[in-house]
Amino acid sequence: MLNILVYGAVTSAVYAMLAVGFTLIFGVARVLNLAHGAFYGLGAYSCYLLTGRLGWPLLPAALVAVLFVAAFGVAMERFLVRPLRHSALAVLMITIAVGLLFEQAMYLLFGSEARNVPAFSNATWSYAGLDVSGQRLLTLGFGIVIIGLLWLFINRTRLGSAILALSQDREGALYMGIPADRIYAVVMAISAAIAAAAGVLTAPFLTVQPTMDLLPMIKAFSIVIVGGLGSIPGSILAALLLGYSETIVAYAVSPAWTEIVSLVAVLLTLILRPAGLLGKRAAF
Amino acid sequence: MRSRPWIFVPLVLAALAALPVIVKSEYLLGILSVCFIYGIWAASWDFMSGLTGRENFGHALFIGAGAYTSAFLNARFALNPWWGLPAGAAMAVLLALVIGFPTLRLRGPYFALAMLAAATIMQRLTLIFWQYSGGEEGIPGLDPLLNSKIGIYYLCLAALVLTTAALLLLARSHGGLLLRGIRGDEAACQAAGIDVTFYKIAALVVSAACAGMGGVLYAHYQEAVTPDVFSVALSISIIIMVYVGGIGTIYGPAVGAILLALLPELLRGLGQYRLWAYSVVLIFILFFAPGGLVAPLWRRAVGLAR
Amino acid sequence: MSALLEVSALSKRFSGLVAVNEVSFSIAPGEITGILGPNGAGKTTLFNLLTGFLPIDGGEVRFDGHNLAGLAPHRIVNRGLARTFQLCRPFSGMSAFENVMVGCLAPRVRHREAPETRAREILAAVGLAHRAETKVDVLPYGDLRRLEIARALATRPRLLLLDEPFAGLGSSEIEPLSALIRALHRSEGLTILLIEHRLREFMQLVSRVIAMDFGRIIAVATPEDIVRHPLVIEAYIGRAEDDTTGDALGTA
Repeated sequence: MLNILVYGAVTSAVYAMLAVGFTLIFGVARVLNLAHGAFYGLGAYSCYLLTGRLGWPLLPAALVAVLFVAAFGVAMERFLVRPLRHSALAVLMITIAVGLLFEQAMYLLFGSEARNVPAFSNATWSYAGLDVSGQRLLTLGFGIVIIGLLWLFINRTRLGSAILALSQDREGALYMGIPADRIYAVVMAISAAIAAAAGVLTAPFLTVQPTMDLLPMIKAFSIVIVGGLGSIPGSILAALLLGYSETIVAYAVSPAWTEIVSLVAVLLTLILRPAGLLGKRAAF
Repeated sequence: MRSRPWIFVPLVLAALAALPVIVKSEYLLGILSVCFIYGIWAASWDFMSGLTGRENFGHALFIGAGAYTSAFLNARFALNPWWGLPAGAAMAVLLALVIGFPTLRLRGPYFALAMLAAATIMQRLTLIFWQYSGGEEGIPGLDPLLNSKIGIYYLCLAALVLTTAALLLLARSHGGLLLRGIRGDEAACQAAGIDVTFYKIAALVVSAACAGMGGVLYAHYQEAVTPDVFSVALSISIIIMVYVGGIGTIYGPAVGAILLALLPELLRGLGQYRLWAYSVVLIFILFFAPGGLVAPLWRRAVGLAR
Repeated sequence: MSALLEVSALSKRFSGLVAVNEVSFSIAPGEITGILGPNGAGKTTLFNLLTGFLPIDGGEVRFDGHNLAGLAPHRIVNRGLARTFQLCRPFSGMSAFENVMVGCLAPRVRHREAPETRAREILAAVGLAHRAETKVDVLPYGDLRRLEIARALATRPRLLLLDEPFAGLGSSEIEPLSALIRALHRSEGLTILLIEHRLREFMQLVSRVIAMDFGRIIAVATPEDIVRHPLVIEAYIGRAEDDTTGDALGTA
């Protein structure tokens, strides 16, 4: 029981970190970013490069990795996405190309074998017969803090309210002179940084491999569909829902069945409530 | 003699048909057989997604469904591999309906995402339920559809030519016109009295059936099936082939697929950088040739001859 | 004579805002009716409700005696109620002929006559025969307006809803289009309901005007009487920033 509670919370936190960025960039810029998983993977690999190959201490390595991925996201938005914005399909394709290039680049640079990234905490926390690694608890804590900060940023700052305005009423916001291009860049940076942070935090207990970007991305957009495209509270709710459902299925049935949870959740959402839990119904 | 380049169509087909007589290399014939199968996949992707503008990011779902269905029937129940063709197509159609009904009536990227998710999850399932699906190793030891490499070459060539011709005819029919209307403006299509959901699902069903049969051909050509037939890399490769060929033209993607599938084989050593090369090609096309390469060049050739 | 279209207490709300509020009216066969109202009065929302593009929150729409509630847009079209859009929505990448063909392929008309022949006839009827093979992406705006009507006509409607058919047209283009609508009315016996936010354009066209403001019907009268109606004057004068105000009423 306690197992499910704690592990479910960790999984949910990771999912939420992945999903909020994905849904934010879609809500604001209408970019369906299929390179989002690459941000996550790039975070983990940058951290591996700095600690494992260059011998940096973990904390600066982690910070530099996150900043690097944020800069990468901004550059991708500026040079690859923006010129193609006139066509939604072209934007989708370019983000796919970036995702593919990431996988191939990691494969060429570091090979296909799994890599190790050091953990912030090697302690194990035991309570009432439950053992949880400190890194997992740290991930949970960081996840809550990061999402809390994002919430404060969006609801309490001028830039945040501009982002919110743009995602709720694009035409109105553009008409009022909100500098859309600069906001897209900021949102891309935030989205990439959060995904990279998730990558750095989970790398010690998950596998760091060239194809590691795919599954998190599938999870991210399953959550985003269940929660409602473009809705941040929706994706947090859906992250909790999926995180716990998967953990419960893993304990009650078998870990093998967890992958089916998100597919069933996506299909059920699309059949029963296409706009998602907290999304607005798409109008004609 | 109004449009001279049309002569090239029978000429190229005749050359391809005569190839096994001239070239005795089974290796080359094998490569070309696979290229033809890629052509079927790309043309069938284009029929649904190129015409209606609803991108399918998990075409491999249909390919894998066809391949694994046929492999099961052949390896587990010792059924004649030819039964795999209708069975594989039927399984692909079934999945198309399951995904298509909930997602294609919606606007937005739901269909694209659901296809991508479904294909990826199917790939995971083949690994998780390895007792039945053979896991990473897949299902080896399948019977080939024909016993000679030359026979398989002709089979794949015929399948490609027939599928492309049939899809082209459909695309130029009234139904195809409506599919292009859906790409133009769905709401306006409804205002013209057209049941857009029906046409989108019908197009997906046709596309899935062709892709599924392509998957069956592929499985029995390889005489094995592995989880890679469900991979995102395969789905994306097919889309890139369509882009190179010229989206929405059917024949362009078929030719583009053959060229792109052949390229890494011809340039030896490029094989392992295949996806890398494809993504570079894709970025080039997106920025510098949004209409693709094959179809615009062909149109220009036809136009010049007029 | 029984009404062709009968709307009773039709309502639509968008998160608190009532866009269409208990609207009731009926249209007799063969009539040309205009719906007048300032921007935001709920005219287009009303059209979207009548044609099934938006779900109805309350009230009823009966067309030819049948309730249209819950029918998908394409089913309503196939019962003989077609519409155009305020912004032209041609199928880009296709020729004018192909655009009209889509309408000719609606189940309602598909089997009655050869779609190709019918598409040519309709293009000729709206004066676009010479543009048949032109891609719509290069058609001038006035032609797109005609094409929009042609595509709706292709479904052989009994009632045609025109959403601001003159929007974006110069004064020299309005009169010929107006003449075309009158000709269609005469030759096909078509019943027409059209929206305008300026009155001048359809003064000559309509026999009856339904005036709307804030989602409600505020007056129903002949074009001559409607401009003298106090609520209509208030609706327009009350929004003095609308530069078409003087335009709309001054010419009456």
